[in-house]
Amino acid sequence: MKKQIALALTAAMTVGMLAGCSGKTPTAAGGSTVTSTGSETTAAAGDDKTITFWNIATDEPDKTIWSYAVDQYNKNDSPTSGYTIDQVATANDQYKQKLSVAMSAGQCPDMYIHWTGGPMREYIKSGYAQDITDIVDELGLRDKYLPAALDQCTVDGKIYALPVKNQSVAVFFYDKSLWAEKGYEVPKTLDDLETLCDKMVSDGITPFALANSSQWTGSMYYCYLVARYGGSDIITNAYNQTGSLVNDATKFAGEKIEDWVSKGYFPDGVNSLSADDGEDRALLYQGAGMMLQGSWQVASIKSENPDFYKNLGAFAFPTMTDSSADQTTVLGTLGDNFISFNCTGEKLKEAVKMAAYYTTDEWMKLDEDSGNLPPLVDASSSEPAWQDITSIIKGASSVQLWWDQYLPSSVAEVHKSATQTLFDGTGDPTKVAQEQQDALDEYFKENGSSTAASTAS
Amino acid sequence: MTKKTSLAAVRQRKIALCAAVFLIPVIILMAVYILYPIIATFVNSFTQWNGISTNKKFIGFYNWNKLIHDTKFWQAFLNNIKVMLLSLVIQMPIGILLATFLDAGGRKLNFFKIIWFLPLLMSSVAVGYLFHYALATNGGLFTSISQIFGGGKIDLLGNQKTALYAVIGVICWQFIPFYMVYYMAGYSSIDESLYEAAIVDGATRGQYVRKIALPLLVPTIKSAVVLSVTGSLKYFDLVYVMTGGGPGSSTELMATYMYKESFSKYNMGYGSAIAGGMFILITAIAGLLMFLMNRKGDKE
Repeated sequence: MKKQIALALTAAMTVGMLAGCSGKTPTAAGGSTVTSTGSETTAAAGDDKTITFWNIATDEPDKTIWSYAVDQYNKNDSPTSGYTIDQVATANDQYKQKLSVAMSAGQCPDMYIHWTGGPMREYIKSGYAQDITDIVDELGLRDKYLPAALDQCTVDGKIYALPVKNQSVAVFFYDKSLWAEKGYEVPKTLDDLETLCDKMVSDGITPFALANSSQWTGSMYYCYLVARYGGSDIITNAYNQTGSLVNDATKFAGEKIEDWVSKGYFPDGVNSLSADDGEDRALLYQGAGMMLQGSWQVASIKSENPDFYKNLGAFAFPTMTDSSADQTTVLGTLGDNFISFNCTGEKLKEAVKMAAYYTTDEWMKLDEDSGNLPPLVDASSSEPAWQDITSIIKGASSVQLWWDQYLPSSVAEVHKSATQTLFDGTGDPTKVAQEQQDALDEYFKENGSSTAASTAS
Repeated sequence: MTKKTSLAAVRQRKIALCAAVFLIPVIILMAVYILYPIIATFVNSFTQWNGISTNKKFIGFYNWNKLIHDTKFWQAFLNNIKVMLLSLVIQMPIGILLATFLDAGGRKLNFFKIIWFLPLLMSSVAVGYLFHYALATNGGLFTSISQIFGGGKIDLLGNQKTALYAVIGVICWQFIPFYMVYYMAGYSSIDESLYEAAIVDGATRGQYVRKIALPLLVPTIKSAVVLSVTGSLKYFDLVYVMTGGGPGSSTELMATYMYKESFSKYNMGYGSAIAGGMFILITAIAGLLMFLMNRKGDKE
């Protein structure tokens, strides 16, 4: 009897495991209608006069920022067009999953936000993001957005999304009062930076406040170093299959990080600290030298530590003197959130019209007041910390999207975990580069090199 | 109606019918939520699918071939084996010890019973965060203690050599109470009169435990071992919360690897192959284990 019970238990547990694994496996192609043109829109949605819009605006100030356009459209345009917007907000953590599941079940919303890069290419490939180039031009929106922001929404010369919300770039944050007290000066070149860091270490200060269990945080150091050495072409070429990631630039970046780790520039246990919990900000508050982070940190620091915020300064990643690459490139994303559209014809046009409310002066003010800087040509911010950042962005000749967003998702994961090993001294620079290149090669092997081919045409 | 059915046969048939009717809801639920997903997983493992598109491309054994040659998967499997072995070595003896202690002490020890049971009542995610903060290099419990005694900062989760063991420690902390309760139930099924008889015959408490109680607990231990083995091989939540498989891939388990492939890398097809691989491996290991244990049992 006991034998049977044990057998039954084991069966139940192993079976339960698999059920857990594939609980989200959706019903194949059951729900949706796939048209031969490759664009998939539910037939029912075509006649429907409701435009569903998914975003992550569950909390303030996001709620106000996002609801603005929805309310405006429903008030001003609905009476004439007959369409109404139905906004559905989901908490950030669950959003990506919810969207994936909805898409796999053929129930993709008419409008939804995402973060461009690899996932956006998956959406396009699956037919859930429509080409809106013509509508953008027709409505005269092209000139309103920062060209680099729109560039991020463009694949093969076609616009598939509209940028909203914020200009996020990676910059060094520092405590102006601490630096003044110690007599530190903002470093212009990598050599300056290293001299400064050595001074900090001898003063008992940890130079870099980095929390790298999140992986994308340390990845920023790597990406910047690669860009300073070899320019943003390194990653673009690798993605277009005209170059390899195993090169001098990635070797330089890997070795630099190893060197910095051995000199004690990074905090102890850097790979166990989590940026999601704000442990890097905590280090900065506790007197660490500087923090390389996204500019969205301004809003967090402002609400979290107003006293510290008063002395918050920012400077660009230092330049490399003996490199021919463009030294003004910044790493970041111009838009932060992006809207894509999954409807056709008149409905698509109305949906884009609705999204165009995110370019009006009134909305821009709303967004700026909450600590953001909209990805629009006319945007400006009165926040002191933003002055430094906007001057960095304005001085930048190009914006390099974070690698973990730019690369296909499967490669991005490898990039993140491979670069993480550099920070505890176990990673080998050449091996780290090779791992990323292998992941890219495998991606192209499995998905074909369509991107490279069509860019050429 | 010439043939007369006996009353017993009629009753038998009615019971069978009744049983079938009562079982239908469960069978439907099992079929929809367990059987169908398993089949779907195996079907998906033969496709190239990003998890969102409606067109799956059938690619035969490509994913399975890739799985067999995937060093990351086997590394994860090795980590699972480490978790499994250490869980057995740590959880089983401590579980038995605690249960023996509580069994011997009776009601006086109810306080300990409650305290020791607490870890199991917390959700894994809460436990994960709790220990993530306790083990934090900057201001964590261990670092603070070490610094009081003049030591340096202690980095357990950020170090590739120690991260897995730190996580295993937490897993044990969480699951020892489960086996404690499991063995306590085993103890309570042993007839009180056996203990009394042993005492009357002049046995000490220690002799009773070693010579009488433990042999009687063997079936309980066996099923606990099977539970622990299958549990550790499919382990996911604490690792996902505490390290996410990092640093590097030092704490990557099969389940976290599967999750990453399926939901972060959008390789649902390959993720399904990993799930299928896990299913086969775990079933095989559990089956082998039960075969070995039961064969041994027959000899005794």
